[in-house]
Amino acid sequence: MKLQSITLTNFRQFKGEQTFDLTSDGVKPVTLMFGANGAGKTTLLNAFTWGLYGTMSDDVEQQDRMVTDAVWRALPMGQSVEVAVEVRFDHEGQDYRLLRSATLRKESDDQGRLSAQLQLWTTQPDGSSEVSHAPQETILSILPVGVSRFFFFNGERIENLVKKGAYAEVQKDIKVLLDLEQVERAISHLPKVNRKLTDELKKHGGDTASAIQDAIDTLTDQQAKAKDELKVIEGDLATLGEERDATTELLRQHAEAAPVQAERDAVNKELTEARTARDAALTERAVLVATKGFQAFTDALGAKTKAMADNLYQKGALPAPLKREFVDQLLNDGTCICGTDLAEHSEPWDNVKEWRQRAGLQAVETAWQQLSGQIAPLADARAGLRESLSNLMVRIQNERDRVARLEARKSELDGKLKDSRLEDVQALETKRMDLEGRIALKNQRKGSIEADLVTFAKEIDQKTRERSRAQVTDELAAKARSRSDLVTYVKKALEEILAIREEDMRLRLDAELKAVFKSITHQAHVPTLSEGFELTLHKDVNGVQLPVPKSTGENQILSLSFVAAVSKLAREIRKERRAEGSSAEDAGTYPIVMDAAFGSLDQDYQEAVSRALAKMAPQLVVLVSKSQGLGKVVTELLPYVSHLGVIETHTTAAGSVADDIELEGMTYPYIRSSESDFSELKVIK
Amino acid sequence: MSEPRTEKQVLEELSDEQRALLKRVLEVERAKLHITAYDATDDLLAAVKEIIP
Repeated sequence: MKLQSITLTNFRQFKGEQTFDLTSDGVKPVTLMFGANGAGKTTLLNAFTWGLYGTMSDDVEQQDRMVTDAVWRALPMGQSVEVAVEVRFDHEGQDYRLLRSATLRKESDDQGRLSAQLQLWTTQPDGSSEVSHAPQETILSILPVGVSRFFFFNGERIENLVKKGAYAEVQKDIKVLLDLEQVERAISHLPKVNRKLTDELKKHGGDTASAIQDAIDTLTDQQAKAKDELKVIEGDLATLGEERDATTELLRQHAEAAPVQAERDAVNKELTEARTARDAALTERAVLVATKGFQAFTDALGAKTKAMADNLYQKGALPAPLKREFVDQLLNDGTCICGTDLAEHSEPWDNVKEWRQRAGLQAVETAWQQLSGQIAPLADARAGLRESLSNLMVRIQNERDRVARLEARKSELDGKLKDSRLEDVQALETKRMDLEGRIALKNQRKGSIEADLVTFAKEIDQKTRERSRAQVTDELAAKARSRSDLVTYVKKALEEILAIREEDMRLRLDAELKAVFKSITHQAHVPTLSEGFELTLHKDVNGVQLPVPKSTGENQILSLSFVAAVSKLAREIRKERRAEGSSAEDAGTYPIVMDAAFGSLDQDYQEAVSRALAKMAPQLVVLVSKSQGLGKVVTELLPYVSHLGVIETHTTAAGSVADDIELEGMTYPYIRSSESDFSELKVIK
Repeated sequence: MSEPRTEKQVLEELSDEQRALLKRVLEVERAKLHITAYDATDDLLAAVKEIIP
């Protein structure tokens, strides 16, 4: 299959009818399309799958808005509009034109779901054209939908191809691509054919032949039953194995999480302590300030009081020369100490009374004596207060620091623990043991069935030989026997061919994968395709093969290498001498259409992947943004490019949004302001 | 250890009739690969009867 062109009509962002030529040859197999984010690269990729199969990938949002928004809004109510994808391609000497289209009548602002029709026309080499009556079946026979994911893909999601759990499906799709599926189907269908033939033999072949055939039929039934059981057991084993792996993984996570959990508990305990200590220090400070805080303000007061006292001492007012109590006593007694009589309101009485005003109180003097004794200790208390406060401040700061440090550590540990689902270790261990036990039992049963199958095959062989020798007189019976013999031999040959092909395909795919991967990566990692089609990555450490945990980038490279290897092998095998006879010139040829082709790869990886794909794919359509595609990718791919295009974005966004892209020394519009939002496929060469 | 057998060897060891049927069977199956529910019995039986009429 080689793509010739794609035409979009009002398909998502692509307003009106837009065509892009994709014809390419072996020398220049590449079409390179640039587009800004949202321009429609993913839409273009999905236009192919929608055209071919009527489906789009799950990451396409608003799948019921297939008609360009601007076109739908401008459409008057009650009018209809067409949405379509036309793909022209050639396959095994025939040209095809595929058209998936729908007409949508506007009954509300919502578009609603489409009911698209598929039409397919084939053109013979002589130019005559005819309509296919089974368009979808024809397309599926050219490229089965499962297989298409190797050829139409998003580079950012390509790693899903090699993720754990994907092998079973990948293996099935590869079988189709590598011509294994039809052999398997033939092997499963031929016994039914044989049974019809042997029924005739039994009917006309006489007693001996009938008896032999009965024995063969019984054995064949037993064989079929055993094969079915084997399949079920193999399925069970796969499920049990996955469950055991998941349980082991949980146990491992638990083992890993246990020390983290213990540290988190310790940190949590210390954090509580630190918070308590911090709060205690804060309370202590508050109490200190409340009870002794005033002392801080007594500095000037003490000095002032002392100065005042000193002044009084100097003036002789302190200690007081005369006590008021003494004067009162004289006035009360009515006699002065000099003997003068102190009659009330007499001159001497007035003189003595005047002294009363000047005399000091005993209580005041006592109080003063006490107060002056306090001035010196007050200064000490102030110094003490300052020291206590500063000690407390240091303590508070230390505790605050400790709390902050522990909170940070706790968050870190919580983060580590968040993703691990912890179950009871004991229960997990019991479950694991139980699973191991069940797996062992199933394996035992598997072994016994396999032994039975060998016996059945031998006995059927022997009986078939007996049947060949048995006397058969009836002509119809003889013919039935010959036909049955023929079918039996062909089935055996197919079984052998299947085994040969499976092993051969795996070995060649493995070798090809190793070669491609090596040409891309700078790491000394080696990929291996196991018998179960499981992709693993190993590295050699002093002669020991150690598995390498695959990063997203490595998974992408591995997937791209895998796609390149599958693509190459699919073409190669059809050129060899095979049971199917000779194939068409381009048999096994499929285009590769990649959106976000290089995912999150580094520049040097992008370069190596570009080189590998350009050399290996018979036709390559690469959809990239400026940031992904300019630079090394363009330099690497340009010699192989037959078509270069830009998906020009037209946007209603305000401001100066216009942007250009420079390709081969010329500047082209990349984003332009517009009255409506849409995209345009622009051909550059 | 002996060399692994090849598809070519298997084919060469078959008689013309067997080879013809094998090729026909694969053609029939390949044409209907996309139809999972396909029952090939009648088509294959017809192929056998074509080869041994």
